[in-house]
Amino acid sequence: MVKEMKAIFKRELRSYFNAPVGYVCIAALAALYGYFYYQVMALGSTSYIRNVYGTLFTFGMIVIPIITMRSMTDDQKNKTDQALLTAPVSVTAIVTGKFLACWFVFFIASTLGLLPPVAMSFFSSPAWGEIIGNYLGTLLYGGAMISIGVLISSLTVSQIIAAIGTFVVSVFLMYIDNLASAISNKTVSAVVSWLSFNSRYTTFTQGIFSVSATVFFLSVMAVFLFLTARRLESRRWN
Amino acid sequence: MVEVRNLTKRYGTKLALDHVSFTVEEGSIVGFLGPNGAGKSTTMNIVTGYLSATSGEVLVSGKNILDEPQEVKKMIGYLPEMPPLYMDMTVKEYLNFMYELKKARLPREKHISEICKLVKIENVYNRLIGNLSKGYKQRVGIAQALIGNPPVLILDEPTVGLDPKQIIEIRTLIKNLGRNHTVILSSHILSEVQAVCERIIVINNGCVVADGATDTLAHDLSKDHRLLLRAEGPEREMVHALLGLPHVVDAASLGEKERGVFEITVESEPDADLRRDVFALLARKGWPLLAMKNMDLTLEDLFLQLTSGDAALHHSSGEASSDEAEEAEQEDTV
Repeated sequence: MVKEMKAIFKRELRSYFNAPVGYVCIAALAALYGYFYYQVMALGSTSYIRNVYGTLFTFGMIVIPIITMRSMTDDQKNKTDQALLTAPVSVTAIVTGKFLACWFVFFIASTLGLLPPVAMSFFSSPAWGEIIGNYLGTLLYGGAMISIGVLISSLTVSQIIAAIGTFVVSVFLMYIDNLASAISNKTVSAVVSWLSFNSRYTTFTQGIFSVSATVFFLSVMAVFLFLTARRLESRRWN
Repeated sequence: MVEVRNLTKRYGTKLALDHVSFTVEEGSIVGFLGPNGAGKSTTMNIVTGYLSATSGEVLVSGKNILDEPQEVKKMIGYLPEMPPLYMDMTVKEYLNFMYELKKARLPREKHISEICKLVKIENVYNRLIGNLSKGYKQRVGIAQALIGNPPVLILDEPTVGLDPKQIIEIRTLIKNLGRNHTVILSSHILSEVQAVCERIIVINNGCVVADGATDTLAHDLSKDHRLLLRAEGPEREMVHALLGLPHVVDAASLGEKERGVFEITVESEPDADLRRDVFALLARKGWPLLAMKNMDLTLEDLFLQLTSGDAALHHSSGEASSDEAEEAEQEDTV
């Protein structure tokens, strides 16, 4: 299981860097991180790191669909899924390998986002606890979004549709808090706001490591990977 | 080795396969022949576990693909109709990836280089697959199927897109592989199947319409057995004498072809070989026999007959709704 997963992970990751898409996503996110550090620290002259990571929620939202859009669509279009599905490999290994490759691209980008605080640490002492908390929050939120993107890309053969679909879902998730507050029924409102990614992510930006939010994001990943695996399996029954 | 029982596949309301059954023994090369859209690829996709059957089952060396998918998949090397190649990888990277994916436990370097030598892709080993010609891509596809040395090879139209010289090379390769592998290969080219396979299964509209050894299939399935002969002698008497032979159903003259030489067709009962009796008769009567030819259908006639609508020729199972299966197959390949 682990061995095949590793093989798929390696192949997927390589394909991100054989084409420009991996570099573009990483460069875009790193540049945005850099810019917002600059804006918040230098222009805003505040040391609240949450102002930096707070805005990055939106940028992750835009970049993640680009990362995930090709993960499942390409295989179906080029018929390479025939090689994967007729090999002695479980669908869970295929899906997990692909998911981890996407997440790793996002991980590289987020880690590059730590460069500004590292640079700053030469001149002052940044609040590393808060920064690492934010960093972990970004990774968890990104992982959950990526698992959704991977499922959506397994539903279509078109990269564009996969990207737009994932984008729409992430916009919807962003506004779900507003939606919750507009609902008068208390129970429904509570359920809807429970789904919020943003409120859980915000906990991290405040420098709080929330176990419940961590469990929530990890569960989202597990659920969507499970659904993607089932989707892959169901294709056989067409 | 490979046993297919009552395989039926529906795409929605379209029937693509209708109770297809056949068995392939270990170490034989079987050709799967049929026109485009007959259900060849669908069958192969089901046997390899890429698609599921609506009903029926597939056993590979006694193991059901639904019960032990990983075990069965390990035993099969598959070259689909479109080779499943990653265009952004080099041949080397791709074959190594497939090696890991198939969990092969052979000395990796040696195994891969042997395969490359076998299908003659050593000279493109470090090139990007996307930049290779169609013939080379096809060979990389075959190489991929051979990785892990699976006992069963399933090749869907393996020579498509190759030039005549390469076709001959690949056919020789398949024949050689047939010595220690069980090979099922599909084709819509009759001569290819004839050249490579020991046994032919003809499929049309999702039904098996003929199944037999390459050499005798045509003879066995021909519905009439005729001799065509030319002999010198009196026309009427010759026909009359031939009609008097045992097992002769009919004899008729086709007219004078040379001066004093008549062409006569003689129809026999099935399973009767008239040639010796005819020769003896004519010799006894002193009518020189100038030519004699068996008028069994050629494999090509047979293939056309089997697949051109009146497929109920011999096997009454051939009554699938024809357009449906064809459309379904097309849908499958889109």
